[in-house]
Amino acid sequence: MSAERYNRQIILKGFGEEAQQKLLRAKVLVIGVGGLGCPALQYLTAAGIGHIGIVDDDTISLSNLHRQILFTTADIGKLKVEVAAKRLQDMNPQIGIIRHPIRLQKNNILDILSRYDYILDGTDNFESRYLINDACALLNKPLIFVAVSGFEGQLAIFNTPDHLTPSTNYRDIFPIPPHKGEIPNCTENGIIGVLPGVLGTMAAAETIKLIAKIGQPLTNKILSYNLLTQEQYTINISHGDDYILPKTVDEFLNMDYQDTSEGPQGYIEIDATELVQLQQLDSTILIDVRERHEVPVLDKQIFTQVPMSEFGAFMGKEFYQKHVVLICQHGIRSVAAAEAMQEKYGDAKKIYSLKGGIIKWRDHFLKS
Amino acid sequence: MEIEIISFGQIAEFINHQKIEVDGIADTDAFKRYLEDRFPTLKGMKYKLALNKNIVQQNTEIKNQATIAIMPPFSGG
Repeated sequence: MSAERYNRQIILKGFGEEAQQKLLRAKVLVIGVGGLGCPALQYLTAAGIGHIGIVDDDTISLSNLHRQILFTTADIGKLKVEVAAKRLQDMNPQIGIIRHPIRLQKNNILDILSRYDYILDGTDNFESRYLINDACALLNKPLIFVAVSGFEGQLAIFNTPDHLTPSTNYRDIFPIPPHKGEIPNCTENGIIGVLPGVLGTMAAAETIKLIAKIGQPLTNKILSYNLLTQEQYTINISHGDDYILPKTVDEFLNMDYQDTSEGPQGYIEIDATELVQLQQLDSTILIDVRERHEVPVLDKQIFTQVPMSEFGAFMGKEFYQKHVVLICQHGIRSVAAAEAMQEKYGDAKKIYSLKGGIIKWRDHFLKS
Repeated sequence: MEIEIISFGQIAEFINHQKIEVDGIADTDAFKRYLEDRFPTLKGMKYKLALNKNIVQQNTEIKNQATIAIMPPFSGG
């Protein structure tokens, strides 16, 4: 290795040559090359982690660029893993970058994770997060967990015992995944670019601390970070006993990670033309499940406002209309609402969700 | 008895950081009932409580001037 490249951290008191050697021998897998994965990968690469694997099956789009800082405008449409690998290799040709342009699933995740010593989860959905958590717990791999929502983030290290507590996992905090639409994601809710930058960098720092055995990594702790106040709040995690964690490969393969919102899919996804037809019927109620602050504002005479945050209360009431059309910004929350309605009413009412939401049919909503 | 409530993410949108003066809340189960009664939106949500910075895994006694944090899961990236 070139000692000069890492000179400034080698000469740092409390780090040194020995810690640098540990980084060079480490194999780290970063899952998700998004807002969190990009900055994490940049610092892990620059710091001299010997082998870095990167997983993502997605391509780069224009709306990624405000937070996914490994990519340029010219990269739009290209595979994230390919562009990231090239850029990282240019940054540091002395380390190994391994590309995994796939989506991790039950049948491939154990094989890939077993090739690495540390796993950094920077994905963007609960399905992946529970899949990765359970796989790491099964394989006993240290997991650096990092996630964002709105102006806040969460950061934790799982599957790593410390002197006080045997190793914990994500299910010790949240035993089962939320239903689809219960927690808004970045597509629905928006995200300020610098937030995953901060959290992704903090996740890289925790990974480096864990490998180099310096400081006090967030082992068995979860840190909450608020960008607007710069406040942090750290909570100690202990073992819970109200969840099922697969203990064998067979049990793991039998887990259901695909759809976290069970319930029969009896509702129908419609387009704007079908919406217009349904709108003609007296027995139709059109429900806008977006929060009250969201734009564009629709005609409240036509669209009944029932934000998702008030949906539970609304479900307790009765109404006469037989056809129920649920709409939201992108057609994701409306699916969650449709599932809840379907579960309650079964065949008693016909439930519809506008696929693609108001954004997809913008022209229709703006003219009406 | 005084309890400080700290909340995160979308829960902070309807439960502010606040100190409450209550009687008859002896433990975390009772506190949960109080919360879901006062903030019905919470009922349909996944969240975890932490009492004085320790995750609540079973019903735990609450003492005066306790701090309870309410945390939802985040998945964004």
